[in-house]
Amino acid sequence: MGRRSIVAVLLSLAVAAGVLLALKSASAATAALGIRGAPRLLFDSAAWAVWLAPFAALFASGFTRRQEPRIIDRQVLRHDDAAILQHWAHAAGTLILVGSGIALGIRGFLPRLVAGTYADGVAFNIHFLGAVLFVFGSFYYAGNTLMSGRLSEHLPHDVGSSLRVVAAHYSAVLGKGKFPAEGKYFASEHLTYPIAAVGSTLILLTGLIKVAAHGANIPGGLMGAVTLTHDITAVVLGLYLVAHAVAGALVPWSWPLLRSMLTGLVPLDYVREHHAGWYRELTSQTRPEPDDEAAKHAATAS
Amino acid sequence: MTEETKKKDYTRREFVTGVGGLGLGAVLGGLVGSSFLLPDKVLAIPASQGYLLVDTKKCVGCDSCMLACSLVHHGSTSFSNSRIQIVQNPFVTFPNDIEQNQCRQCPYPACVDACPTGANHVDTAHGNVRTVDPAKCIGCERCVNACPFTPSRALWNSQEKHAQKCDLCAETPYWNEKGGPGGKQACIESCPMKAISFTKEVPVQKDAGYDVNLRKTDGTAELGLPLGDDGKYTKSQVDAARAAAAAMAAASKAAPKH
Repeated sequence: MGRRSIVAVLLSLAVAAGVLLALKSASAATAALGIRGAPRLLFDSAAWAVWLAPFAALFASGFTRRQEPRIIDRQVLRHDDAAILQHWAHAAGTLILVGSGIALGIRGFLPRLVAGTYADGVAFNIHFLGAVLFVFGSFYYAGNTLMSGRLSEHLPHDVGSSLRVVAAHYSAVLGKGKFPAEGKYFASEHLTYPIAAVGSTLILLTGLIKVAAHGANIPGGLMGAVTLTHDITAVVLGLYLVAHAVAGALVPWSWPLLRSMLTGLVPLDYVREHHAGWYRELTSQTRPEPDDEAAKHAATAS
Repeated sequence: MTEETKKKDYTRREFVTGVGGLGLGAVLGGLVGSSFLLPDKVLAIPASQGYLLVDTKKCVGCDSCMLACSLVHHGSTSFSNSRIQIVQNPFVTFPNDIEQNQCRQCPYPACVDACPTGANHVDTAHGNVRTVDPAKCIGCERCVNACPFTPSRALWNSQEKHAQKCDLCAETPYWNEKGGPGGKQACIESCPMKAISFTKEVPVQKDAGYDVNLRKTDGTAELGLPLGDDGKYTKSQVDAARAAAAAMAAASKAAPKH
C-alpha cells in the first residue's frame, strides 16, 4: 500500500470516527438538556478543534514542498500530494457542510429537514465535522498558494479573452471547431476562481464568527448580518459546487482530471488535446500567457 | 529561480510556518491551561427574578391575555404569536377544561441550553428573564423542541421567522409601559378574571407550583363564590357559612318578639 493510500485510509477513518462522535455527542447532549454542566454540541464542547485547524494547516503547509508539473512516462504530473490533500479535505468539508446545512435549513428561505433535538444535534455535529475539514483544507491551500506564489495561475487575466475562449471551448465540446489552446487551467476556471475564493473567504470569516458566538457574546446586530451573509454565501457556493461537480466529475471528458485528483497523473494525450497551451509549455521552456494564447487560437479558429 | 526569489520564498515560508506554529501552541496551550484553571465564581445560571402564576380554575378562556401578549410584542392580535397559550378542551368538564400554558422561566432552562447561537439566553439586563434575541436566532428550533412542556413554551414565529418566548414583557415595542420582572405584564393587566399573577419567589418546580389558587387572595371569597379547586366550596367556607347562619338564627331567637 502506497503512502497516498495510507493517508486516504487514515483520513477516511478520521471522518468515520468524527461521524460516530457526532452521533454519540448529539445523543448525550439531548439526554442531558437542561442539566447544568451537561455535555453539549461539539460546537460548544470542542470548538477548540475549529480554532486549531487553521494553524495546523498553516504549520503543515510550511513543511510541504510543492512539485512542479512534469511529464512522466507519457503522463503529466498535474496534482502533487499537497494538491490532492487540500482538494479532498476542502471537498469533503464542503460536501458535509452543504449536506448538513441543507438538513438544518436556512431561516426564512429553506425549510429544515430535521426535527427534534437529537436530529438537530446530529446535523449540527456533522456540520462541525465539515467545518473542521473545510477550515483545514482552506488554510492548507492558502498557505501553500501563498508560499508557492501560484495565485496568479488561477486568477483571470483578461476577462474578454477568457470569455471568447470559453465560447470556443464549449463550441468544440458540441462538435463545432477545435478546442482552443488552453493552459493548465481552462479559461472558465480562471473566470470562476474569484467566486470560489471570495465565497470561501466570506463563509470562513462568517463561520468563524458563528463559532466564536458559542464562547462569547457577539452583538445581535453583527450576528444577524453574519448569519445572513453566511446563508447567502452558502447558497452561492452550493450552486458553484453543483457546477464544479458537473464540469469536473460528471461529464466524461473531465474524467481524466478526476482520476488525476486521485493519482496525480493525467495522460499526455489528454493534455495535448484539451490543454494545448499547457502541453506546449510542458514540452518547451517557453511560458506563454495561457488565455492570450487560447484567445488567439479561438479567434483564428472562428 | 534567482537567489533573491529563493530568499523571499524562504522568508514567506518561515512566516507562514511561524504563524501556524504559534497558533498551534496558543490553542493547545490554552486548552491545557484552561483545564487546570478553576474559576473563582460559581458557574450557574442565575434564577429569573420573576414568574407568572396562573389559576386555571379562575380562567374563563376569553383569550384576552393571548391577544394582549401578541399586541404588545408584535403590534397585531395573533393567537399564534402569543407567548402564553390558552388551550380549551370541550370534551372535558371543569376543572380540567382549560390550560393556561405560560413559560415557567425554569431554573435550568433547557431552551437556553439547547440554543447553539446564544439567541435564547438569560437576559441579565432584565432580571435574568429567559428570552430570545431574534437577531441571533438561526431558526433551528432546537429551543422549541427542547422545552420539556407541551405545548412548548418556546414558540416559532412563522411571520418573522424566529423563535420567541415569554420575556415577562421586558421588550414590548408596542406597549408604553415598563415590563420585565420589575414592571407590568400585559397578560396580567388584561385578564378580566385576574387569573394570572406575578411572583418574585421561585415556584415549586411542579405543575402545582405554577397553577395556584389565586382566589384565596382576591375578592372571590367576598363575592361568595367557591374557592375550592374542584369548583365547590371549601370546608372553611362551608364552616364559615354555617357559623354565620347559626349566628343569624341565634340572633333572631334572642331578639324580642313584637
